[in-house]
Amino acid sequence: MRILLRFSILFILTLLVLVVLSFALIYLFPGDVLNNLTGISAQSEAHRDMLVEKHRLDEAYFFQFTHYVSELFSGNWGQSFVSGLPLKEEIGRALPATIELAFYAMFIAVVIGIPVGCYAGLKSYTPVDYSINSLSMVGYSFPVFWLALLFILMFSLELNIAPLSGRISLLFDIPHRTGFILIDILLAKDIDTSLAMRDAFRHLLLPTLAISVISTASMIRMVRRSVIDVLNRPYITAARSRGLSRWQIFSRHILRNALLPVLPLMAIQITTLITNAMIVETLFSWPGIGNWLIQAIYQRDFPALRVGMLAVASLVITLTITIDLFNRLIDPSRDKYERGTI
Amino acid sequence: MAQFSLYEEEYHPSPWQRTWREFTSSHIAVLGLFVLAIFLVFALFAPLIAPYDPLQQNIDSLLLPPSWETNGSISHLFGTDALGRDVFSRIIYGCRVTFGSSILLVMIAMGVGVTIGTVAGMMSGVRSSIMNHLLDALMAIPTLLIAIIIVAILGTGLVNSMWAITLALIPQFIHYTRSFVRSEMKKEYILASKLDGASAWQLFRHSILPNMIEMLVVQGSLALSIAVIDVSALGFLNLGAQPPLPELGAILADGLDVAYLAPWNVGLPGLSIFLMVLAINLVGDGLRSALRKRVSH
Repeated sequence: MRILLRFSILFILTLLVLVVLSFALIYLFPGDVLNNLTGISAQSEAHRDMLVEKHRLDEAYFFQFTHYVSELFSGNWGQSFVSGLPLKEEIGRALPATIELAFYAMFIAVVIGIPVGCYAGLKSYTPVDYSINSLSMVGYSFPVFWLALLFILMFSLELNIAPLSGRISLLFDIPHRTGFILIDILLAKDIDTSLAMRDAFRHLLLPTLAISVISTASMIRMVRRSVIDVLNRPYITAARSRGLSRWQIFSRHILRNALLPVLPLMAIQITTLITNAMIVETLFSWPGIGNWLIQAIYQRDFPALRVGMLAVASLVITLTITIDLFNRLIDPSRDKYERGTI
Repeated sequence: MAQFSLYEEEYHPSPWQRTWREFTSSHIAVLGLFVLAIFLVFALFAPLIAPYDPLQQNIDSLLLPPSWETNGSISHLFGTDALGRDVFSRIIYGCRVTFGSSILLVMIAMGVGVTIGTVAGMMSGVRSSIMNHLLDALMAIPTLLIAIIIVAILGTGLVNSMWAITLALIPQFIHYTRSFVRSEMKKEYILASKLDGASAWQLFRHSILPNMIEMLVVQGSLALSIAVIDVSALGFLNLGAQPPLPELGAILADGLDVAYLAPWNVGLPGLSIFLMVLAINLVGDGLRSALRKRVSH
């Protein structure tokens, strides 16, 4: 219970820091404070005074901030300079697309990375291990934007296997429900579901692959290292002397002990994963948060940048803290009362 | 009783010599070091090596293919780009900008990070935990996001993007230094120095820093590979170095317009970023395992 309390305090404090940062951005960004906050250009002096009063910009910073926080909670996130749409709606469309992409990449990384990493760790310091290790080193060193470009050049332009951009062919009219394209297709009516699914998968193929190469490589390295560390522990020797078979030792002792320390490392990887997803989105015109933020910076859309930063950072922090909490709860070897950190 | 000794003197290699011996036992790490040395030479002596001015445009030879293709010519080793600029010279200058700025910003981040981390590690209580929370919040924001915000405040440019990446790298150094200093402070040799009356600065200078250097080298190599990727990624997204400044990511973004016609404009700059990062990772990995083996022997 105490650990839950600690983590929730940590979570709330961190979010508070982020909200303060995003509030400070209103004043730090170039241009008019009112514009940066609301995204509305005042039409006249009277309109302007009305807006200033509404957002309490004439009061002290502290009251401005409390008002800002209450507005955030009630869902008034301001509107975009460029499109004039409410930011909450735009982020609600863009964020799931990124989460979807990152989730599939993480899924591939886990499905491929853990078995391959375990295999390399068990066969450590043999030619097989060296080749897996070198391959993962190569995969880990790819700059994601170049890899995505190579994929586009090879698979889209030369071989014509996968489409260049977007989430799904425009022929399919998928209503926006959850924001996750595959779920939306299943929920949508009056379309050929299998055809649409196949099309969506072909669109997903290249961006997911580009991100997952890097995530998989780092996953393999982390798992391998961890397995090798566990292999050197005395309890493995004890298990072996008790006459357990190789498979029994692996499934009972190695796997569980090796995967526990990988979990917090995975949490650190989330930041990299989201960054990579954001870069890849711009190349594939994937309508996600990364693409949206990059467009926002090109167009100097300050309200969008402020709220987008808050949304992405909160997402990353929520994920990181959840994983860390989960790890703390299931790992008996860690001190229950040590301070929560990210 | 006289002890039989084959050698008159026993030779004890210093820790660095032992690290070097372990390092050279891995051929692939030495290869990485060699490639890294080439990039370093490119970075230091770019004006001497590059055959052309990287900004000089030549309308007579647009999109010339690289020399190993049938239409290529040896006067432009890697061909030319859409403005007739020599790709080889641009890549060499690009290594200088990308690699050089990465080294610079890793050094700044390391300096700041180690300072704050040491102070945080020696401190305890509320102050240190408040600082930790602030830093952890900063650490969870993706680099690209920090860069986007800094660019929004200060405008685009190589220097601004360097600030952004430095800001993103500092928390990692602080994190590692803090936990290292904290674990080190509990050891007995520190207690002995304290009993001798060493001040906090003397403790750091004579006891902790010599033990920390190895950790710093390994973390530095990790940070360097992240920095190279981030500098070029920001250049590629047009948020960092602005054309015509030859930065590898920006060169790659330039080549994107003619990617179908002249794939070498995309392939070669990307390949050099890739090789640079690979070499840094190989050296870092070799160093890490050499240090591990040295301790375990």
